[in-house]
Amino acid sequence: MRNFELIGNFLLQLLPVINITLTVSVSALVLGSFIGLILTLGKIGSSRILRGIVAGYISIVRATPPIIMIFLVYYGLPFITANFFKINIEGWNRIYFVIIALTLLFSAPVAEIMRSAYLSIDKGQYEAGIMVGMNKFQIFYRIILPQATVVALPNYATALINLLKEGSLTFTIGVVDMVAKSQMIVSNNSGGYAWQTYGSLALIYWALSLAIGRVVALSEKAYQKKRQSISI
Amino acid sequence: MLKIRGLKKSYAENEILKGIDLDVKKGDVITIIGPSGAGKTTLLRNITTLESADSGKIEFENIQGDYSALTRQETKKLRQSIGFVFQNYNLFNNKTALQNVMEGLLTAKRMPKQEARTEALKALERVGLLEYKDQYPVQLSGGQQQRVGIARAIALKPKVIFFDEPTSALDPELVGEVLQVMRSLAHEGTTMVIVTHQMRFAQEISNKIVFMVAGRVVESGTAQAVFENPRAERTRQFLAETLVQY
Amino acid sequence: MLNTDFMLQVAKATIKGVPVTLEIVIVSLILALPISFVFALLRLYSVKGGNQFVKLYVSFIRGTPIIAQILIVYSAFPSLLASFIGKSAFAIDPINYAYIVFTINAVASLTEVFRSALQTVDRGQYEAGTMVGMTSSQIFRRIILPQALVSALPNLTNITLGLVKNSALAFIMSVKDITAIAKTEAAFNYSFLEAYLVLWVYYLIISYAAELIFKSLELYFGRYRKQVKKRHYSNKEQLISVTTDKRRSPAQG
Ligand SMILES: Nc1ncnc2c1ncn2[C@@H]1O[C@H](COP(=O)(O)OP(=O)(O)OP(=O)(O)O)[C@@H](O)[C@H]1O
Ligand SMILES: [Mg+2]
Repeated sequence: MRNFELIGNFLLQLLPVINITLTVSVSALVLGSFIGLILTLGKIGSSRILRGIVAGYISIVRATPPIIMIFLVYYGLPFITANFFKINIEGWNRIYFVIIALTLLFSAPVAEIMRSAYLSIDKGQYEAGIMVGMNKFQIFYRIILPQATVVALPNYATALINLLKEGSLTFTIGVVDMVAKSQMIVSNNSGGYAWQTYGSLALIYWALSLAIGRVVALSEKAYQKKRQSISI
Repeated sequence: MLKIRGLKKSYAENEILKGIDLDVKKGDVITIIGPSGAGKTTLLRNITTLESADSGKIEFENIQGDYSALTRQETKKLRQSIGFVFQNYNLFNNKTALQNVMEGLLTAKRMPKQEARTEALKALERVGLLEYKDQYPVQLSGGQQQRVGIARAIALKPKVIFFDEPTSALDPELVGEVLQVMRSLAHEGTTMVIVTHQMRFAQEISNKIVFMVAGRVVESGTAQAVFENPRAERTRQFLAETLVQY
Repeated sequence: MLNTDFMLQVAKATIKGVPVTLEIVIVSLILALPISFVFALLRLYSVKGGNQFVKLYVSFIRGTPIIAQILIVYSAFPSLLASFIGKSAFAIDPINYAYIVFTINAVASLTEVFRSALQTVDRGQYEAGTMVGMTSSQIFRRIILPQALVSALPNLTNITLGLVKNSALAFIMSVKDITAIAKTEAAFNYSFLEAYLVLWVYYLIISYAAELIFKSLELYFGRYRKQVKKRHYSNKEQLISVTTDKRRSPAQG
């Protein structure tokens, strides 16, 4: 079983650069969630103009291929900062550009997920909160948020897995991540064992995706259990 | 013309039908009453093979034998000769009122399109919905949908029509129009088996009442006998409870 | 500032790639539809073996980046093919590999879409069909399938948009799509931002056009779901619709 041996070997060579993938994904997850939250507030807020802007933003991001987003940020951001703010950021670590691009990409689905989770909560819940004398913040924190989280979690997992996959384009602006590394391995072997190498790459991503799905499913369960024990 | 003997059905451990006998003669209007969970819906669904009964005999047309031994042909025949009106209408969502009524004529009866259309229009006219023929189900009120459901059943000219609580999903003010259609069917001599909680209506149109509790027939007889002179204590109790609500 | 003359030049050059991009999207979609439909049925009817295979397939494809799939197919297929048809395998138009990858990829998401669409059709529809004497296959073809397809349409839109976006990676297989052309122009003239801005606009136009087409399909085929005019209101319904309107209105963008 020479193939297994090869794949094991390639896995060992690829895994050391997994931290690039993780850094990029986790940073974009945090930043993107934050921006997504702000977008959600804009979208459910009362300002017509703000709602329009947010809707436009989401629609454009949704229609933009991730690789184009990365290119636009990588070449566009230094252009903007140099021309409008007289700041030179061309020396930045390239990973920052990827993180920014992925943050923009991730914020759009997050906003959609948060909004629909919020809307899925019956208005009666809010009214009932008022009638038992809770204040707005208490109602949001104790009643709306827990329910909305349960609704949002599965979609959040999907969006997160997409983010992870989009992060695989980091190599396109010259960062040596797992994809770049696997291409190097293949060229070092003069094109030999290509599918085993790329197969190893795929396996790592598959494992990460499955792990995300698993963690989210478990937290969903834990959450529901907690709610059950409260209600008893 | 329809004879059921010893019909039994269990879900997991629970025996829901514990041996039901039922006789339907041509022109009968039979109403099955009983408390919620008695197994009325289950009975109708098992007779019509929407669900497969555990055991029991059926005699109907030229079908004769045990439910467990019905051939595909017999099942098909059985379904074609029994019309069914569902509690929640179950109109085909992707078809207009007219198409809903035509559907069975075209597929099961293999009628030519023009003829099916004529028949379907006749059926829609009988339920008073000719002018709604091109509306989709979502565009109709509940009462109208149920009347289309009835038209769909009668268009196939079944030997007997089963109604499972045809008005219980309807707003109170829409119940009347559906009952009116059923009343006129009864007057025309249509054979019907009805499950309903509308006691006054049951009393008015049925020539026979079957009272079920917990998977058994407790009492059956003419409307007059059951409503005015119930023999079983359980029947008396049930009638007292339900009739009070009027 | 931006070199608009160059942008115009890029726009002109890139337009030659539009048919290629569209071809990739359309061919992959057409190939993926029947395959994923069969896959969905294998899942729904829990066909022994088939069910497990499809599950694993969907999990793998959806759990791995398209770039990994591209690299695997592009490195494995030519030599695989060469072992059957010899050296001529390496002369095949690379767009064929794009069709293969993007079909493989789309099948995974489409399978899930069809599966849930078929599941959402109410059981009562099937029972009603049974009771008017239709056979199972008649019910499936005339009642279940049309309704499932309509409820699948919104997701089909998303998958098509996803295909458009994924197709931007076809250049890795040396396919001459719009991205490949814009990249060449950019590198040749050393004006990256301008070229990618133009390219971006192309993708936005293609995506919005696709969305528009699907929206009108939804409108046309979904007309049975549209409540044109409600003829009857009970007081109860009216009350509910008023309160939900109030609640929804600030949220509608
Ligand atoms: N598919 C099923 N699986 C398990 N239990 C079932 C199923 N269908 C019905 N039951 C059970 O069978 C019993 C009888 O149900 P059925 O719907 O026949 O009652 P019913 O007399 O029609 O009541 P109602 O007047 O409320 O409609 C109920 O306790 C119900 O929970
Ligand atoms: Mg019932």
